Amino acid sequence: MEDFEGKKILVIQTHGVETPTRTYSPLFYAMAAAAMEIETMVWFTMNGTNQLKKGEAEKVQLDPTSNVTLKTMLEMAMDSDVQLRVCQQSLELWDMTQDDLIDGVEIMGATSIIELSLTYDHVMYF
Amino acid sequence: MAHEEVKGCIILKDLYYAVQDNTWVKVEGDDVVTVGMTDIAQSLAGPILHAKTKAPGTARKKGRPIATVESGKWVGPVKSPVTGEIIEVNEALAGDAQLINRSPYKDGWVVKMKASNLEAELAEMTTGDAAVEAYRQKIEQDGIECTHLEGSDTY
Repeated sequence: MEDFEGKKILVIQTHGVETPTRTYSPLFYAMAAAAMEIETMVWFTMNGTNQLKKGEAEKVQLDPTSNVTLKTMLEMAMDSDVQLRVCQQSLELWDMTQDDLIDGVEIMGATSIIELSLTYDHVMYF
Repeated sequence: MAHEEVKGCIILKDLYYAVQDNTWVKVEGDDVVTVGMTDIAQSLAGPILHAKTKAPGTARKKGRPIATVESGKWVGPVKSPVTGEIIEVNEALAGDAQLINRSPYKDGWVVKMKASNLEAELAEMTTGDAAVEAYRQKIEQDGIECTHLEGSDTY
């Protein structure tokens, strides 16, 4: 395996709890990147934001025979040192405030994410 | 080989374990160690699809990845339990990653390393009855039950 240390990937997630099959994979890719020592951030915007509302991700369970929910995936990503960030403007879209967010998620504005995206080696959009 | 079984999980008493990272170390002598994933780790991962090891010659500090492992439901690093240099990798894993599932302590070893601070780092791991007890607590606390693919090693 090549050494990717120092590389950075930004994953942009625009899908939320209303489309469960589109929620797990971006986090899975993010965890894969983190396992490869790539600095990884997931940026939640548009509908993606709603999965970060307390109590919502627990309701999304792709495999009913597994106890892994979307909340589990979010926690596993954070345990893997994946950084989770949410778009400030999209919080308003969902009538959410910082108090509504699960722990470990930071809020950033649009200009910050544009700045960041220019410094990352690769951006993946979902 | 002396072992104990807790909820189906095999723990070999003569290995050293980094319990939180679910890795084991076998001391081969001359500061050389073999490193692998535990039976618990392979059970939690489920059938492994790919295992990619770092190349021989790679220097690792304790805690840095020596490999990445992915199954259908999990992807993550295998964290090095020791500081040192990878001197050999298990080439067989590239063609059959489920060796880790079927034989976590034998044919499914991950890398061999030349350790640079072995004595001190072994002292931070657990072995023997202490390892069995540490895993017993972890297994009960996390509600773990080990599962084995067909053709797995028997003890």
